[in-house]
Amino acid sequence: MAIMGMAFGLPWLFLIVIPFCRMSVAPLLAYSEKDAVEGGVLTYPDPGSDVVRQGDGEGAKLFAAEGCAYCHTQMIRPTYAGVDRWRKGWSGREADGLARETLPEDYYGEGYALLGYERIGPDLANVGYRITSREEMHRHLSDPKSFNRDSGMPTFRHLYRESPSGDGRLTPTGSAEALVTYLLSRKRDAKIPSADGGGK
Amino acid sequence: MTTVEPATIKDLEERVAIDRSARYPVLFFFTSASAWLLVATVLGFLSALKLSVPDLGSTIPDPLRIGSFFGYGRMMPAHLMALVYGWAIQAGIGVLLWLMARLSRCQLRYPVLIMVSGHVWNAAVLLGIISVLAGYGRSIPWLDFPAWLWPVLAITYVLMTIWVVPMFRQRRSSSVYISELYLLGAVIWFPWIFFTVNLLIDAGSAPVMGAGTGAWYISNLIYFWMAPISLAVAYYLVPKIVNRHLFSYPLAAIAFWMLAFLAGWSGFARYMGGPFPSWMSAVGGAASIFILLAIVITIVNLHMTFREKIELMKYSPSLRFTMFGMALLGLYALLSAVGSTFGLGKYLQFTYFLTGLDTLAVYGFFSMTMFGAIYFIVPRITGAEWPSGQKISLHFLFGTYGIGTLIACLILAGIAQGGLEQQWDVPMGIVFTSSVGYMTGVCLGWLLVGVGNLCFFWQLALMFFGKGRKSGSGPTLMNVKEEEVARGETAV
Repeated sequence: MAIMGMAFGLPWLFLIVIPFCRMSVAPLLAYSEKDAVEGGVLTYPDPGSDVVRQGDGEGAKLFAAEGCAYCHTQMIRPTYAGVDRWRKGWSGREADGLARETLPEDYYGEGYALLGYERIGPDLANVGYRITSREEMHRHLSDPKSFNRDSGMPTFRHLYRESPSGDGRLTPTGSAEALVTYLLSRKRDAKIPSADGGGK
Repeated sequence: MTTVEPATIKDLEERVAIDRSARYPVLFFFTSASAWLLVATVLGFLSALKLSVPDLGSTIPDPLRIGSFFGYGRMMPAHLMALVYGWAIQAGIGVLLWLMARLSRCQLRYPVLIMVSGHVWNAAVLLGIISVLAGYGRSIPWLDFPAWLWPVLAITYVLMTIWVVPMFRQRRSSSVYISELYLLGAVIWFPWIFFTVNLLIDAGSAPVMGAGTGAWYISNLIYFWMAPISLAVAYYLVPKIVNRHLFSYPLAAIAFWMLAFLAGWSGFARYMGGPFPSWMSAVGGAASIFILLAIVITIVNLHMTFREKIELMKYSPSLRFTMFGMALLGLYALLSAVGSTFGLGKYLQFTYFLTGLDTLAVYGFFSMTMFGAIYFIVPRITGAEWPSGQKISLHFLFGTYGIGTLIACLILAGIAQGGLEQQWDVPMGIVFTSSVGYMTGVCLGWLLVGVGNLCFFWQLALMFFGKGRKSGSGPTLMNVKEEEVARGETAV
C-alpha cells in the first residue's frame, strides 16, 4: 500500500501541488517606462481592470451556471498548437500588435478558469472586441440565429422578459445585464511587461 | 496451463456466508446505480437532441421558464453527473465490496452503515443534478455540482468503501491476488484525487490550475478508479469462468505497477497548448502512450487465459460482457494515446472526439465490465438465477450496437469538426453544421443503449423482488433455449 501511495504521490506532488502553490503566490509583474502602457495601469495582470473585476462577478457565475463553457472555450492556443491566432478577432487587437495566445495570468482572480469543455461555438477569450455594444450582445443571447443562421446556439430567452408595452420586444433581466457586462469585459490581450519590469 | 482445483464443501459454505453478508448493500448499490443509468441515458439522449435541433421547443410558450432546464449547458453536466456519480461509482462500489469480500474470504461488515451512506450519496447526487438543471452549476466538467456538496460525497464514499482495507489485511491467502491490488488502489486513489481537486478549486488562488486539475481528475478517475475496478473484475471472472489459472501472474503485476506509476501523470493533455507550462501536457501524452502498453499486456494475458475456450463467450453473459469491456478498454487506451500526442491531438482538442472518448470510458469499457460483474454477482447474492437469457442477449445486442453507434458518431463528428476548424477561414457556424448529422446518430445510439438498459433494469428489478429463477440447474446462459435451462439440460 505504501508503494501504491508513493506511485501516486509523485505526480500528485510534482504535477499538481507544487505548480498550484507556485502559481498561487506568483507576483504581479510591473510595467517599466518603456512598456508605455496607458491609463495608469501599473501591473500585469491589473486587478482594477474590467476583465479581472468581472472574472469572479455575477456575470461569470451565470456564464458557468448556464453551462456556457460546455460549448465555448476561452483559451487561445499559440500558433504551433492550432489556428486560433488566425481566426478573425479571436486573439485580441491584431492591428496594435497586442494579439496573442492566452497566458495563466490572463485568468487572474477568476477562481476557476473556464477554459471550456468543447468548442462547438467560437472562442470567447476576446469576445469583447468582436461584439462591442450591449444591444448587440443582448440580441446575440436572445436570438442567436439573427446573427448567423448556421448558429447552433439555443436562445437564452429565459433571461429576458416580454416588454410591458406589448410590442414584442424583450427586456433584459438583471441576470442578462450581468452576463452581458461579463462578456463585454472578455479582453485578454493585456500587454506583457518587458523583461526588466520587476515583480510586485 | 493448469485448471483450478474444485471447491470443497467448506469453501462453498464460506462463499454462501460471504454472499449473504454482502447481499443487501451490494443489491442496493446495483439497483440504485441502474436506475441512475436510465436517468443518464435519457439526459444523454436529450443533450444530443439539443445539439441536433438547438431551438427545439423554443417557440412553445414558457411562462414558468422551465425551458431553461433543457439547455445543453445544463443537461450535459446533469447527464455526466448521473452517469458518473449515479451509475458508475455506485455500480463500482457494489462490485468492489463483493469482490474484496470473496477474495479475502471475509464477510462484509457494517452493512447498515454502508447502506445509509449509500442513501445519503443518492440524495446528494439527486440534489446535485437538480441544482445543475435549475441553474446552479459551475461548468466544471465531471465536478459540476454546487461547491457545498463535495464534502458530503467524499465522506459518504469513505464510509462506503473503507472496509475494503481491513478485509484485505485479514485475508487468509499469503499471496496477493491481482484483483485485490486493483481494488485496494481504487479505494485509496479516489478519495485522494477527489479531495485534491475539490480543495484546489475551492481555494481558487490559481484559476488555471483549478481547470488543469479538473482535467487531471477526469483522467485519473478513469485510469485510477474505473480501469482498476474493471481490471479486477476481468482478472477474477475470466479464470473463474474458463476454469483455468491466469496465464501469467508476473505479467499482470507488471501491468498493474505500470498503471500505478503512470496514470497520475495523465490528464493535462486535454489542455495542450493552453495556459500551462507545456511539459505538463507533454508528460500526460507520454504517460498515455505507456499506459496503452500496460493495457495491451493485460488484454494479451487475459486472451491467453481463455484461449481455446472462446466458445464460452457465446453462452456466458459475464464472460461476454467483460471481454467486450476489455476490448473497449484497449480501444480507449489507443485513442487516448493518439489524442494525447501533439501531432494529432491539437486537431481533436475541444471536439466531440474527446466527448466520445469520455463516453467510451464510462459507458464503454467500465459499464460493460460492470454488467458482466453484475450478471455474475446478483445470482450468487440472491440465490436465484436470471429469469431470461433472451433478455440478457437483447441487452448485449442493443448495448453493443448502441455504444458502437455512439462512439463511431462522436469520433467521426470530432474528426469532421477538428478538420474544418483547422481551416481558419471556415466560419464556426459551418463547423457546427458539419457535425449536426452525427448528433442525430448519437441520439440513435442513446435510444439503442436505452432499450438495452431497460432489459437489464427489468431483470435486475425482478431479482431484487425475489422473482429470479429457482427451478432447473445451472446458470442462465445466452443462446440456449430457456426450456433446456429449466430442465437442467444445458450442454455447457
